[in-house]
Amino acid sequence: MRLSRRSFLAALGAAATPAALGGCAGFSTGSGSSTAEGTLSFTTWGTDAELAALRSAISAFEAANDGASVELNAVPYEQMFTNIDAQLQAGNPPDVFRVPYYTFGSYAGRDQLLDLTPHLSDGFADRFTPQAWAAVQNGGSPYGVPHHTDTSVILYDVQALADAGIDSVPQTLEEAWTWEEFADVARRLKESLPSDQSPFAYNWQGNGVTRWLSWLFEADGRFLEEDLVTPAIDSDAGAAAVEFTTSFFRDGLVPRNNSISSSTYAADSWFAGTVPMVFAGAFLIPDAEATYEREWAATFPPRDERSAGDFGGNALVGTAQTEQPELVARFLEFVTEAEQMREFCAGSSLLPTRADLVEEGIEFDVRPELSPVFLQQSSAVLPQDSGQVASPDMSSIITVLQDGLEASFLGDADVETTLATLSDGIEAATQ
Amino acid sequence: MTARAREAWAGYAFAAPTLLLLGVFVLLPLGGAMVISLQETNGFGDGTFVGLDNYQRLVQDPVFWRATLNTALYTVLVTPAAMAIGLGLALLLDSALPARGALRSVLILPMAISGVATALMGVLIFDENSGFLTEVARAMGLPQVDWQTHGPAAFASVVIMTLWWRVGFNMLIYLAGLQGVAHELYEAARLDGANAWQRLRHVTVPQLSNQSFFLVILNIIYSFQVFDIVFVMTGGGPERATTVLVTYAYDTGFVTRDQGYAAAIGVVLLAVTLVVTALRWRAQRRREETE
Repeated sequence: MRLSRRSFLAALGAAATPAALGGCAGFSTGSGSSTAEGTLSFTTWGTDAELAALRSAISAFEAANDGASVELNAVPYEQMFTNIDAQLQAGNPPDVFRVPYYTFGSYAGRDQLLDLTPHLSDGFADRFTPQAWAAVQNGGSPYGVPHHTDTSVILYDVQALADAGIDSVPQTLEEAWTWEEFADVARRLKESLPSDQSPFAYNWQGNGVTRWLSWLFEADGRFLEEDLVTPAIDSDAGAAAVEFTTSFFRDGLVPRNNSISSSTYAADSWFAGTVPMVFAGAFLIPDAEATYEREWAATFPPRDERSAGDFGGNALVGTAQTEQPELVARFLEFVTEAEQMREFCAGSSLLPTRADLVEEGIEFDVRPELSPVFLQQSSAVLPQDSGQVASPDMSSIITVLQDGLEASFLGDADVETTLATLSDGIEAATQ
Repeated sequence: MTARAREAWAGYAFAAPTLLLLGVFVLLPLGGAMVISLQETNGFGDGTFVGLDNYQRLVQDPVFWRATLNTALYTVLVTPAAMAIGLGLALLLDSALPARGALRSVLILPMAISGVATALMGVLIFDENSGFLTEVARAMGLPQVDWQTHGPAAFASVVIMTLWWRVGFNMLIYLAGLQGVAHELYEAARLDGANAWQRLRHVTVPQLSNQSFFLVILNIIYSFQVFDIVFVMTGGGPERATTVLVTYAYDTGFVTRDQGYAAAIGVVLLAVTLVVTALRWRAQRRREETE
């Protein structure tokens, strides 16, 4: 997932927003038809592979629905949400757009998205894993469809681990290292590495701070109670997660510039050879295969009370202002059919949200042997985890996590202070 | 219609396109921002009028004060440094230096590069694991500087990249000014026995006072508006050590979507800029009167 900080480029385009409204908006041209006829505007960003799969899905949708068409408006990620926000405010948003799960709540919770409840076929929810379906709920109703997910595993340099005497890595989710075993692996690596290298880097920069929550979930903690309003982070699990992750910096297990606000992303440190292990999503596989010059493989992130992971990826949503809710729902159903999702995920190195595809597995086009690692790891995400990230206040909570954790990682805030800061901040954010 | 009135109307007609553009793209949004700063709004739908609540929050917000302090410090460091280095380079390039035409172009070149590109170069230079400076320090056995994780060092890295970007412009203005300094003044100073430093101190610098005045104002305004370099190089970190007012307003407005509060930060920034501009006008008028 690219990070919001980079989205500042959108500010450069802000002056051109009026033009963008006309040029890129993809005005809804619907005539209020509730049949399959009409034209949907669909705004998204995407890699070449993602866009190719989406175009193919759109062609198939148009072939299957006489009179229906979809205008795909592909924009750079950096412009995506300032444009969408401006379009929503101006009253001419696209019918459908793509949104990360951690941003979904801020639209759904502010009445900007289409409640799909009356428009979806019976039993539609059953096609998805419970954690995926939980990620698109707001107030108990679905406001989008989980199009794909992604989750982080450990990518490692095979030779570096061998040099440190680490001959085997976990082969299944159940065999994942415990936190203590993982710390031990990291310490052994540190001893065998030159002084200018560190054992690993974690991908929590910028909005990726939501991936810190995996440690909290592994300790069987929560950051919000079930009402999604009351802070729950000030707990034993919260203390364990803050203490353990802060020890990465204290003990030199990660580079100092692996902190939250750093402009150096975890993957950059891995590609630069600064760290032999990195926590990364499946989307990185094509880049790693093309760029990383040494032998590399993947294994499972550590577990504590349980295994857990970040529910990354994106939902597809319809806007509340669409004039063609039925057609929107039909399109969203179509792109989450097994065939469409399989093609999209395999080509883009992303994970499916359909229960049947998770069950039977998919094969990435690049490094297919790594698919099971990511698929198994994605099963460690529980609905209660992804449901919290769908909070309408997640955008504000992200800032609270960024400031609070950075003060613990690089500053001198102790665990107790950090938890109090996080808890107070979350409470203020959810008011 | 009298000739005078006709002339006035013609004047308004010529000014109309600019006034229209200013009105639509500057004054109207400014007015809008002031209205939004009195609301609690996430940007969707109508906001709730909350009076001066956002401004009260600002007063009690430690991050706002940190951002204000950082912005002021950045301005205080960058303005005199950019001017001093710009003047030094202008003096060098005004003398009979070989290849001075090429050197002038090289020094002005950063002006043509966007702030974003400048900041991305900064990231490559100051990455504390594998950046250019780290590699050089390693090769020479020098101590490493935590450019990204030590607050003052990160602040310094932003100031250095800004100077690289902005010195060319300062040099250009001074260079233009130097062309207008009469050589007779230097001759007279030499005859009076003034050495090089005294000629600089008592002839060149006073003769460039108009340029200096212009540059002070411009550097202050640019510094208060700094955004892209900070945003890309440090993201305001570590621990808010490089957060400035505009990056904070951006985070508040577009990340947490507290747009009323972000507008209030923007209005404060506008007020500071207006004060600086007013001081400039006043000082300029006084100078014109004394002259």
